Amino acid sequence: MALVIGVDIGNSTTEACVADIGPDGSTGYLAGALTATSGVKGTADNVAGVVKVVQEVLGRARRDPAELAAVLVNEATPVISGLAMETITETIITESTMIGHNPDTPGGAGLGVGTTVAFGALGTCAPGNTVICVVGAGTDFEDAAAGINAAAARGVTVTGAIVHADDATLIANRLRSPIPIVDEVTLVDKVPLGMPAAVEVAEQGRTIRTLSNSYGIATIFDLDPEQTRMIAPVARALVGNRSAVVVRTPSGDVADRRIPAGTLTLIGEHARRSVEMDAGAREIMRTLRRVQPLVDAAGEPGTHVGGMLATVRDTMSELTDSAVDGVRIRDVLAVDTFVPQRVTGALAGEFALENAVALAAMVRTSHGPMQALAQRLREALEVEVLVGGVEADMAVLGALTTPGTDRPVAILDLGGGSTDAALATSGGVVRSVHLAGAGDLVTKLIDSELGLDNRELAEDIKKFPLAKAESFFHIRMEDGTARFFEEPLPTEAFARVVALSDAGLRPVPTRHSLDKIREVRRSAKHKVFVVNALRALEQVAPGGNLRQIGFVVLLGGSALDFEIPDMIAEAVAGLGIVCGTGNVRGSEGPRNAVATGLVASHAAARSLGVAVGS
Amino acid sequence: MAKVSVGNRRTLQLSERGEAKPGTRPDEVVIGISPAFGDFFTKTIVDIPHPEVLRELLAGIEEQGVHARVIRYRGGSDLAVIAHSAAKLSGSGIGIGILSRGTTMIHQKDLVRLSNLELFPQAPLMDTETFRKVGRNAARYAKGESPEPVPSRNDYMARPRWQAKAALLHIKETEFVVPGAAPVELDVRIQLADAG
Repeated sequence: MALVIGVDIGNSTTEACVADIGPDGSTGYLAGALTATSGVKGTADNVAGVVKVVQEVLGRARRDPAELAAVLVNEATPVISGLAMETITETIITESTMIGHNPDTPGGAGLGVGTTVAFGALGTCAPGNTVICVVGAGTDFEDAAAGINAAAARGVTVTGAIVHADDATLIANRLRSPIPIVDEVTLVDKVPLGMPAAVEVAEQGRTIRTLSNSYGIATIFDLDPEQTRMIAPVARALVGNRSAVVVRTPSGDVADRRIPAGTLTLIGEHARRSVEMDAGAREIMRTLRRVQPLVDAAGEPGTHVGGMLATVRDTMSELTDSAVDGVRIRDVLAVDTFVPQRVTGALAGEFALENAVALAAMVRTSHGPMQALAQRLREALEVEVLVGGVEADMAVLGALTTPGTDRPVAILDLGGGSTDAALATSGGVVRSVHLAGAGDLVTKLIDSELGLDNRELAEDIKKFPLAKAESFFHIRMEDGTARFFEEPLPTEAFARVVALSDAGLRPVPTRHSLDKIREVRRSAKHKVFVVNALRALEQVAPGGNLRQIGFVVLLGGSALDFEIPDMIAEAVAGLGIVCGTGNVRGSEGPRNAVATGLVASHAAARSLGVAVGS
Repeated sequence: MAKVSVGNRRTLQLSERGEAKPGTRPDEVVIGISPAFGDFFTKTIVDIPHPEVLRELLAGIEEQGVHARVIRYRGGSDLAVIAHSAAKLSGSGIGIGILSRGTTMIHQKDLVRLSNLELFPQAPLMDTETFRKVGRNAARYAKGESPEPVPSRNDYMARPRWQAKAALLHIKETEFVVPGAAPVELDVRIQLADAG
């Protein structure tokens, strides 16, 4: 009998599996363990993590380190991934033509049309005038209401108001006849005075109907077809708001500008093609398919995409200690996303969701210094360290210990930095690919789309289901069911959307509703993992035909996710594929596949050796 | 019926209407004022007149379309007790407690008394804008929304500078405590002071 440990050094975790191997190759698995990887995978920094995991797994198996015959380490795949993101659109309002925002509590309801007049000048308006009152900072709500009532009593028709403070309901409650009021307009001083304008406020739970319709605006301001064409972007920008103001100025406009983000050049083995970044993710991915397999990618210098790729290259060359021009980008995943950005020229601090493209890049490095690492490990552990086995082959061997699997089997390793796939045919041939984009990209998308600026929180939103704390004693889960508690919930969770993390309820301090956060989470996972799963399987499947794959086993940290495996299973369901989360050795779940594969491969080699020898 | 009139630009009239009863409307916030608020005391520790303080709290609540009730807590001068009592009398379970010197707290009926939803411990930093925001947030809790907490300000010099005055004000306030007395419902009238 020989006691061996298989160790898999991954991007984020180092896993180990300990087993007794008999002379005939029979294998008795004893225990598994995992710890965080120390340093960049494939470098000498990994020693600390490996030593830790070896000690831990031996402890679990209750075996003496002295009995250890060998430690098996895989040839780490020399791929690392990087991420970058850039916005590609920008909204600009010129001449303060419009205000379109959703203050919590606008006042009144309906549509008011008139000429804009400062509150201070309301007293000088002649009776019979139709005006919209602009109330600046520092005016008390009682004074404002009294002023508007007095003007109305004199025969001035005040049809609407635009207010600086959060006072709309307070003013509306004090008016003799109600008018629509838009409040919280921070830059109210910039509203052009003496211009025709319209104020619209919708009932609670509804959105505006007239100002979001080009012909509605045309009717109000009596516009000709050419002018209507000019005003169309304003109407479009106001769609979905509960309150809005449109001021008709000589050349006011809303521009939806595309930022020149540069050209991405994809260099394949046989062809090279360029694609504009602002064409969006679909176009970029379509171009990528045409040039596959990718040899390298380049961004136009001096543009956003040039900067993005340069960042990735610099980081990679630093990590791997190689020259910048030696870094080759072997895969990219482009994802369409959006980023909340402050609108240029807006009067009420409006935000617009601007389009952005996120780019994950996969870099193939020169083969890591595995022999040097092995030598360091030998010294640290004082035991024989064998480097052997391609990571993909080992993962397939490990995955096949999942009950109910058989060749041809494909594995999908859903990691943090990359999505890896391998296919083992009935003949035992293994093909593998490494694709850019995985868990880290999902976290980044959630972080930016929700405007959190907090990676840790985004990570929790990614990993755990949501709920809303409706009282101190119950929460409403995202599936609509209620869960009750004996003890009151922590005060910081009260009335908030929370992530049900392992460490308890984690409040999400944003104004987004639960539904919105859930939607962002699910679409981020879909955009990265489902897209990559299909891409990866297509590349390893014989002839690109997914129907030739019998079994798909999901492995890796992200296979533990509560919804990603279901999303992928659903996406391949129509192809006659059995797809599910792996259960390595019938006990480890989607973890420990490579470590187990190393042991299995070692045992097979041993039994072969015995057979030859006898 | 006790009537008091204090303040400068605006006057505050608080008329007692008997013992405060628990509310039934789910859209109300109860403001609990301390024994001497708007009575012996007429302004906060930084001279903000009590009519303005109460007006801003009420405005913040009204702007959210929520109903407000005001009670006077007579049985003690502990802010947590006042705020928690207000919350327990509130139909929504949300209450605001305020001391004469300006210290303020938003409370919820199911919380333990010494806990709170939001606490504004440094009375010298409370201005009219902050009182408005306190009223707004309390109303938003009552509506079941998730307001971002009012940014709490902190001035490390506030303590050494104001502690002595705060202590004196607290001792004075405590003199008006009627042990065991039930909270009373108040009618609030805030008006512009007559020029004469």
